[in-house]
Amino acid sequence: MGISRDNQHKRRATGGKRKPLRKKRKFELGRPPANTKLGPQRIHTVRTRGGNKKYRALRLDHGNFAWGSECCARKTRIIDVVYNASNNELVRTKTLVKNAVVTIDATPFRTWYETHYALPLGRKKASKLTEEEEARINKKRSKKLMKKYELRKKHAKVEPVLEDEFMTGRVLACIASRPGQCGRCDGYILEGKELDFYLRKIKSKKAK
Amino acid sequence: MADQTERSFQKQPTVFLNRKKSLPSKKKKGLRYYKNVGLGFKTPREAIDGTYIDKKCPFTGNVFIRGRILTGIVLKMKMQRTIVIRRDYLHYVRKYNRFEKRHRNMSVHLSPAFRDVQVGDVVTVGECRPLSKTVRYNVLKVTKAAGSKKSFSKF
Repeated sequence: MGISRDNQHKRRATGGKRKPLRKKRKFELGRPPANTKLGPQRIHTVRTRGGNKKYRALRLDHGNFAWGSECCARKTRIIDVVYNASNNELVRTKTLVKNAVVTIDATPFRTWYETHYALPLGRKKASKLTEEEEARINKKRSKKLMKKYELRKKHAKVEPVLEDEFMTGRVLACIASRPGQCGRCDGYILEGKELDFYLRKIKSKKAK
Repeated sequence: MADQTERSFQKQPTVFLNRKKSLPSKKKKGLRYYKNVGLGFKTPREAIDGTYIDKKCPFTGNVFIRGRILTGIVLKMKMQRTIVIRRDYLHYVRKYNRFEKRHRNMSVHLSPAFRDVQVGDVVTVGECRPLSKTVRYNVLKVTKAAGSKKSFSKF
């Protein structure tokens, strides 16, 4: 095993060199990184210490993303890696890692919003909705049910930046799981200050 | 919220910043996570009111104080968010029935909650999990050095 996680090879705090006391042990082992890319799903399982499993995702394309302010999570397709705070190389090679900013497909969230609030989300002014979409929004509901929907509509406002994102069909999200460890690429939709922060960073990178 | 000087968005992981505005929200003094570290240490005002984000801060971060509590005097403050303290002690030499002075330097993490720390202040530190290669302690309390009150310094 070549990669080890021991501290024996490091110098002391005083700067002095340390002579190795013993060989590398198995419990100090390290494994090569997953470097999960975007693509049709490919996951290998690894047998770890104690007989437990780790799911090393080598390629992923779907993930469970949560819309925090609306308390809703849906499985969506990941479209592109857009920003990585640690390394621009990881953006170029489209590597999925924790805390990378990605664009995801917005349709499951839009569907949920329209059925939950009975209001269109991210539709261009003049576009005509198709049959099923019309049906979804203006479904025949009893009077009692309509009252519930009227109540919900009071809190249905979504912030304008997010609404623009829904119009394009691509929403910015941040990965919160570790694909090389659990084999999943889950995360949350960026909103509010975080969204402004990352939009600024992406813009400044593009401007360069 | 905080000073966003890093390349990723700094926030406290346990605080959800994006609650919808129209929802009836309980005004919770500006949405900040802080805790009482225990053992009778008061959490400083600055930790509760401040806007800094420090995951290694004992009051607003993800470290717990357990184990030893030591004191020392501040020696150097050149590192980012961590300082070097000096602990003096006496070592007994049996042959001569006398003591000799010895000292040890220690790197400890200094939370941004403590703003006015000068070289020479006495500092109480508590043990926590390893925060870096040499840092295992976190500053809990700063008491000013005797005679440093209202002293005129050149700048």
